[in-house]
Amino acid sequence: MMVWLILLPLLWASFAFLLGPGRGVWLAMAGLLAQLWLAYALAEEIVASGVAEHAVGGWGAPLGIDLVADGLSAAMLLLTQCVALPLAVYASAYFKRDDPAATYFWPLVGFLLAGLNALFLSADLFNSYVTLELLGLAAVGLVAAGGGAQQIASALRYLFATLVGSGAYLLGVALIYGTYGTVSTVTLTPLIGAGAPDLVWIAGGLMVVGLMLKTALFPFHFWLPPAHGGAPAPVSALLSAVVVKASFYLILRLWIGPFSSLTVAANLVVWLPALLGMLAVFWGSYQAIRAERLKMLVAYSTVAQLGYLFLIFPLLVSAGALQAVIMQVFAHGLAKAAMFAAAGTLIKATGQDTVAGLAGVAERLPVTLFAFGLAGVTLMGLPPSSGFLAKWQLIELALSQQYWVIAFVVLVGGLLAAVYVFRVLRQAFLLAPAGSVVMPVPRTLEWTAFVLAAASVLLGLRGVELMQLVGIT
Amino acid sequence: MKRLLVVLGAVCFVVLLLGAMFDLAPASVQLHAAVAANLPASGVEHPVTAVLLNFRGYDTLLEIAVLLLAMIVILATGIDTAADVRPSVNPVLQALAKLAAPLMIMVAVYLLWAGAFRPGGAFQAGAVLAAAAVLLHLVELLPGWQSPSTRLRLGLAGGFLVFLAVGAGSLMRGALLEYPPEHAGRLILLVESGLTVSLGLILAGLFLLLSRDDGDGP
Repeated sequence: MMVWLILLPLLWASFAFLLGPGRGVWLAMAGLLAQLWLAYALAEEIVASGVAEHAVGGWGAPLGIDLVADGLSAAMLLLTQCVALPLAVYASAYFKRDDPAATYFWPLVGFLLAGLNALFLSADLFNSYVTLELLGLAAVGLVAAGGGAQQIASALRYLFATLVGSGAYLLGVALIYGTYGTVSTVTLTPLIGAGAPDLVWIAGGLMVVGLMLKTALFPFHFWLPPAHGGAPAPVSALLSAVVVKASFYLILRLWIGPFSSLTVAANLVVWLPALLGMLAVFWGSYQAIRAERLKMLVAYSTVAQLGYLFLIFPLLVSAGALQAVIMQVFAHGLAKAAMFAAAGTLIKATGQDTVAGLAGVAERLPVTLFAFGLAGVTLMGLPPSSGFLAKWQLIELALSQQYWVIAFVVLVGGLLAAVYVFRVLRQAFLLAPAGSVVMPVPRTLEWTAFVLAAASVLLGLRGVELMQLVGIT
Repeated sequence: MKRLLVVLGAVCFVVLLLGAMFDLAPASVQLHAAVAANLPASGVEHPVTAVLLNFRGYDTLLEIAVLLLAMIVILATGIDTAADVRPSVNPVLQALAKLAAPLMIMVAVYLLWAGAFRPGGAFQAGAVLAAAAVLLHLVELLPGWQSPSTRLRLGLAGGFLVFLAVGAGSLMRGALLEYPPEHAGRLILLVESGLTVSLGLILAGLFLLLSRDDGDGP
């Protein structure tokens, strides 16, 4: 079942390519619907009967490649398909016929999702590298597609960042293979002990730093705002909601998997990502508060929200930490997809991408603005949203270990999020200046954003099931 | 000054890396032995082909997807068609290229077939095919590509789709890309033949698309 989650998007992406430029939307919809069902069924299977495995080629690690689906993978797969389907519906209404950005949109999205799903299922360091390449290249293609010079420039910067990141990761994998003779995480985990040779430390450092670059953790965030802010709205939504989380997922996997004895041995190492995460929360929020363009505001908010994910590393020793961080991944994933989708609708309607140009949209596009506000509620962490649940758990964990500083950052970050969200809402409720026009937009654009935003809030009420799923290892 | 610092940093890193490499114990997992032991069941006699197409065939499947994707990304960016004016080509060069092209195709077929028992295989064969196409393009015998027709798209994605179909078929019977030992050799040859054509087209396309000229695409 889990293998079909990888094969299906590859299949519909190739067939969409065969059909030709601009075609393939129905193939994609059918595929995405089936994928959503598969991801849900996989999660149910894991809850019922524990971790699922698949030995590709029937060889088994270390000779072959193993796919492993535990609670963490299943949760990420579920989030990816849950975000992708509404965004695909959104995209089908967003792109006009013959839009140059949509020529090969569906094949690119298909390969992107295949890369994501394959990454979440992989239990092999080299195979993860291949999935990262698939993912990164598809993402760069989506940012660059049909854009002007500026968009191509930000796509190239993104390509540079993602290639350097995967290069560092690959060098690390090569060193690990040289040391232990295997790249299977299942085989490696017991082999890497606290007394590992220096080379393994270097390899681990290279891999984690490379992945941080791909996750756009402060100060490696330089590529994210132009890439996510400049791409078409459905693309920005997909990239911010799930693609950056994929490399974070891999860091988390390495941290609690093969490198777990290293991270336990070096107490101080856990504070490095946490420190960068704190700086990311402040810097990203500050830039979002200052941003003049609406999509830049949302993109910088992603930089800030990614910071929270890295606060978890000092807390990983206690039970419930994984659940907290995955709740934050879900909260941000759903809310940010909704926010970018809503921002795209607002920009389409007002014809300009500035916060100042939003005056008066409240009465013309109430559903979209409500979606933006609901997503904002999740980002701020107000009850009963999933963002509240995530922040609550983070603070509880931080206080139980007396890491006051983490609890403080989480609280202040929520307040800062409120500042930039209300900046947009306040502007939207102002009276429209005379002569401004708000163009009609397809209903589909408004309601898909609303569905995603509502999901991010309502997940807070059904968080227990998700946490139970994540707990299965 | 900045450049000096970068160089200094790189040198330090290399020294650190080399230093750490020297006190390395032999690897605890010996994959060579496992590969050698399972070689008879893999359907081919050459260990590299066995690893690429059988033991770690899933990696190769995704790598092919990456190559196809690279092609699609170039198509999707919609680079402006610039009419490049080239000086007229020496007829001797054209004649030589006409002579070389069939030979190169033969070499590609040989490499594909040889992959089963000595170094070679789809990647090398595809690269030679692509080189032939680039050569023909450089002597103006093959026009650059504008946007690929349905037939060409089928050629580009065909190899990947064959591989995917073999994977899906094996998944129905058991595991993904698990070949029954008695048919493994034939299935690998089928996959590699498809890949040779598609890889040749993709690699050639990466060149021919980026040097689009006025001529119509094939």
